Amino acid sequence: MIFGIPITGQTITYFLLALIIMISGVMLMSLQKVMHMAVALGGVFLGVAGIFILLGADFLGMAQILIYAGAITILMVFALMLTQRGDDTESPPANGWRVGGALVFVVLLCAAFLYVLRGTAWPVTQSAVDPYTQPSVVLLAQSIFHTYTVPFELVSVLLTVALVGAVVIARKEEE
Amino acid sequence: MALQPFLALGVVLFGLGLFGALTKRNIIIVLISIELMLNAANINLVAFAHFSQPAQIQGQVYALFSMAIAAAEVAVGLAILLAFFRHRNSADMKDVDLMKW
Amino acid sequence: MQTHAWIIPALPLLAYVILLIFGKRLRETVAATISVLAILVGFVLAVLVMQEVATNGPIVATTFNWLSFGATTITVGFSVTSLNALMLVVVTLVSTLVLLFSRAYMHKDDRFVRFYQYLNLFVFAMLGLVVSPNTLQFYIFWELVGVCSYLLVGFWYYKPEAAAAAKKAFIVTRIGDVGLFIGIILLYLGTGTFNFNQMFQGSPVSAGLGHSAAALNGGLAMPWFHLHGLMFAGWHPLFGMSPYGFVTLCAILVFIGAVGKSAQFPLHVWLPDAMEGPTPVSALIHAATMVAAGVYLVGRMYPLFLASSGASETVAIIGGFTALLAASIGLTQRDIKRVIAYSTVSQLGYMMMALGVGAYVSGFFHLMTHAFFKALLFLAAGSIIHAIDTQDLFQMGGLRKKMPLTHITFLAGALALSGIPPFAGFWSKDDILSATFDSGHYVLYAMGLLAAFFTAIYIFRVYFLAFGGVAKTEKHAHEGGLAMKVPLIVLAILATLAGFINAPFWPELGNFLQDRGPIGYDPGANYPLMAMSAIVGLLGIWVAYAVYSKEGRAERMATRMGVLYKLSFHKWYVDEAYQFSIVWLVMKLADVLNFIDRWIVDGIVKVIGEVAYLGGVSLKYSNTGQVQTYGLVTLVGLLLLVAAAIGIGGVL
Repeated sequence: MIFGIPITGQTITYFLLALIIMISGVMLMSLQKVMHMAVALGGVFLGVAGIFILLGADFLGMAQILIYAGAITILMVFALMLTQRGDDTESPPANGWRVGGALVFVVLLCAAFLYVLRGTAWPVTQSAVDPYTQPSVVLLAQSIFHTYTVPFELVSVLLTVALVGAVVIARKEEE
Repeated sequence: MALQPFLALGVVLFGLGLFGALTKRNIIIVLISIELMLNAANINLVAFAHFSQPAQIQGQVYALFSMAIAAAEVAVGLAILLAFFRHRNSADMKDVDLMKW
Repeated sequence: MQTHAWIIPALPLLAYVILLIFGKRLRETVAATISVLAILVGFVLAVLVMQEVATNGPIVATTFNWLSFGATTITVGFSVTSLNALMLVVVTLVSTLVLLFSRAYMHKDDRFVRFYQYLNLFVFAMLGLVVSPNTLQFYIFWELVGVCSYLLVGFWYYKPEAAAAAKKAFIVTRIGDVGLFIGIILLYLGTGTFNFNQMFQGSPVSAGLGHSAAALNGGLAMPWFHLHGLMFAGWHPLFGMSPYGFVTLCAILVFIGAVGKSAQFPLHVWLPDAMEGPTPVSALIHAATMVAAGVYLVGRMYPLFLASSGASETVAIIGGFTALLAASIGLTQRDIKRVIAYSTVSQLGYMMMALGVGAYVSGFFHLMTHAFFKALLFLAAGSIIHAIDTQDLFQMGGLRKKMPLTHITFLAGALALSGIPPFAGFWSKDDILSATFDSGHYVLYAMGLLAAFFTAIYIFRVYFLAFGGVAKTEKHAHEGGLAMKVPLIVLAILATLAGFINAPFWPELGNFLQDRGPIGYDPGANYPLMAMSAIVGLLGIWVAYAVYSKEGRAERMATRMGVLYKLSFHKWYVDEAYQFSIVWLVMKLADVLNFIDRWIVDGIVKVIGEVAYLGGVSLKYSNTGQVQTYGLVTLVGLLLLVAAAIGIGGVL
C-alpha cells in the first residue's frame, strides 16, 4: 500500500498507462514539429487502448489500436504532409492572451470536474479484473446485433454518407 | 481498483484536448485535439460499463458507436481542411474567419 | 311607396358611382343629365312618399342588424315619418334645381364631372341623414355631409381663400360634431339604444309633454314619452344626475352639434367663409342640405328638448341672438354672397328660436320656405356673378334692364325673405314671431322683430345696389341659358306661393306634421302681430330705398353710424376674437407640443435607436470569425454553469 493505494498488477498497469497518456498528451501540446506531434498522438491512442483492455474491453482496445493509432494517425500524417509544404513547424499561437486564458479556464474546468468527482458517492469498487460473465466480444456482438441493430445500421449509413461527403468536399472543383 | 482514477484520467485527457483545440494554430492539430476529447469520453464510457453493478456491456457499445462517428468526423474534417487549403492556401486557424463581420 | 323610401337616397349614390366610374370621359351634358334625372326621380318618389304618409300615416322603421355586441344590436335601415317625408321633398326639390343650375354655372370648368360627383354625394349624404332611423347611422351621414361640404367649399382649392374656407368649415363644424357625438353616447348610456323610436318611449318623465312626443315618433302607439332607460328598474342616473339634469345635458350636447352644422352663434363663423365655394354649392349648403341638417337634428330629437325646458330655452336664446347678430352683420357686407350667407345664419336663428320656444311646425315651415327663397336668392346671385364676374355689390348696378328675369326672381326672393305678404317668408316668419310672442318670450320677440327689420334692409340694399342705379362695369351683362332660367322661375314661384300651405286659414303643413296630435306649441293666427311684422318689413324696405337708391348716401350713413358701422362691417370682431383667443392658444399649445414631440419624445426615441445602432456597430467587431475565440468564450460560460451547478449542489 502506497498512499492508501493497493499495489496490485492492475494498479501498476493503470499508473503506467496513465503516465504514458499524460506524457504523450503534454508532448502533443508542447512539441514544435508537427511530425513529432503525430508520434505523440500515437502514444496517447495506444495508452487509451491499454486502458480499454485494462477495463476488460478487449475488442474495443483492439478497435482503438486499429482505428485511432492506425488509421486516424496515419490519416493525420498524410494531411499534415499535404498541407505543410516542407515546413512542418507549428507556428506560434497568434495571441498570447488567448493561450493564457485557455490555460487558466481549462485548468479551472478540470479542477471543477475533479472536485465533482471527489465529492460524488460512486458505487462500490469492482474487485474483479474482468467482471463480464462472457468474453466482451460475445457480449458486444449480442448487444450490437440484437439490441442495437437499428442504431448499428444507422451508423453504417452515417459512415457511408460521411465517406461520400468527404469525397465531394475534398474533390477538386472542375473549372 | 476504483472508478475515480479512470474518470480523473478522462478529465485530464479532455482538458489536454480542449486546451489544444482552443490554442493550436494548425487546423490538423485542432482536429487531433478534438480526437483526444472524444477519447476521453470513451474512457469514461468504458469505465462506467466496467464499474457498474453488475458490469454492463452497453458502455462499450456506446464507445464503439462513438468511435465510428469519430472516424466519420475525421474523414469530413480532413475533407473540409483540404478544400479550405486549396481555397485559401493555408492550414492556419487564423485564416478560418469566413464568418467574421 | 314608403317601404321603398330607401331608393330616394340610393339614386344620387348611384349617380355618384356612375360619375366616379366614368369620370372625365363623360360629356358635361351627360353627367348633368344623369345627376339631375337621378334626383328628379328621387323628388317624384319623395312626393309619392309624402302623399302616402299624409293619407296612411308613417310606417314602422325598416331596419337590418348590423353589429351585435353584448345586449345591444346596432341596426341600419330607414324610417319615414311625416318630418322625414317633408325633408325628403324639400331636399330633393331644391337639389334638383341646384344641379340643373350648375349645368350652366359650372360650364367649361375643368372638373365639371367631379363637381357633379361631389354634389351627388352631398345630396346622398343629406337624404341618408334624413331617413336614418338611429342616431349612429344619423351621425355617419352627418359626418358625410361635413366631408362633402369640405370637398365642395374647397372645390376651387387652388384659390387660397377657398382652401382656408374649406378647412375652417370642416374644423368649426367638427367642434359641434364632438358635442353631438358625446350626446349620442350619453343618450346610449342613458337609454341603452341608438334608435330614435325606442329612445323616446316608455313612461313619462315629463307627463305633460307626453302626447306631443309620441306624435313625433311615427306614432308607434307610444302614448308616453320618456327616456326609456332612465326610469328602467334599478337604473341610476349617470354621474349622479337627476333625470332632468341628464336630459338637459344630452339635449345641450346634441344642440351643440346642431349649432356647428347650422352655423349658430358662436360657431357661425364658417358659413360666410364658405362662400368661397361655387355659388350652386352655396345654394345647396344654405337651402337644402348642410345647414338644414342641424335644424332637422333638433327636430328629430325634439322629445329631448321638450323634456327639458332649460335646453329648449337655450336653443331659443341662441337662435334669437344669432338671428339678430347675423342680420346686423348682413347690413354692411360688400360681397353679395356674404350678405346672403349672413341672411342664412340669421334665418337659421329664426328656426332655432322657433324650435326653442316650442313652435315645432313653424320652425319646419320656415325651414321649407327658407329653402326655396334662399336657394332662389343664391341662384339669382349666381346668375349675376356669372354675368358680370364680380361679387362686390358696389361694382354692380343697373342690372334691372339687362337681366329682367334675374331681377324679377330676385325680387320675389327678397320679398319672401323680408316677410312681405303674400310671399312665402311672410307666413313662416310671422308664425315664428307670433309663437315667440304668444309663448311669453317678449325679449326674443323684440330681437326677432328687429332682426326682421334688418333683414328687410340688407336684402333690399342688395336689391337696390345690384339692380337699381346705373351700370358700373363695362362688362356686358346677360341672362344665363335655359338651365339657369328654369330653376330661377320654379324657385320664384315656390318662394311666392309656398307660404300658403301653412297659412292660418289653411294649415295643411301643420296638420301633416302633427298627424298624431299637436307637437309643442302651435299658436293660432294673431293678426295684429302679422300686421306688425309686415309693417316692419315694409319699413326696412323703405329705409333701404332711402339710403341706397341714391349715390353717396350710403357713405354718409356709414360715417354717421361710426362705431356701429365698424362693428357690423367687421362682423362684431368674432373672427378676430377667436383668432386672438382660441386659435392663438391652440397654436401656442401646438408649438409647445411640437417642441416636446420633436425634441423630447423624438429625442428619446433617437437616442435609444442610436445606442442600439452604436452598440451593434461596435459589437460587430467582436465577431472576428475566430472559432477558437468563440470556443474560449463558450468554455468560460460552461465553467460558470458548472460552478453554478456545484454551488447549488447539482443540476437537478
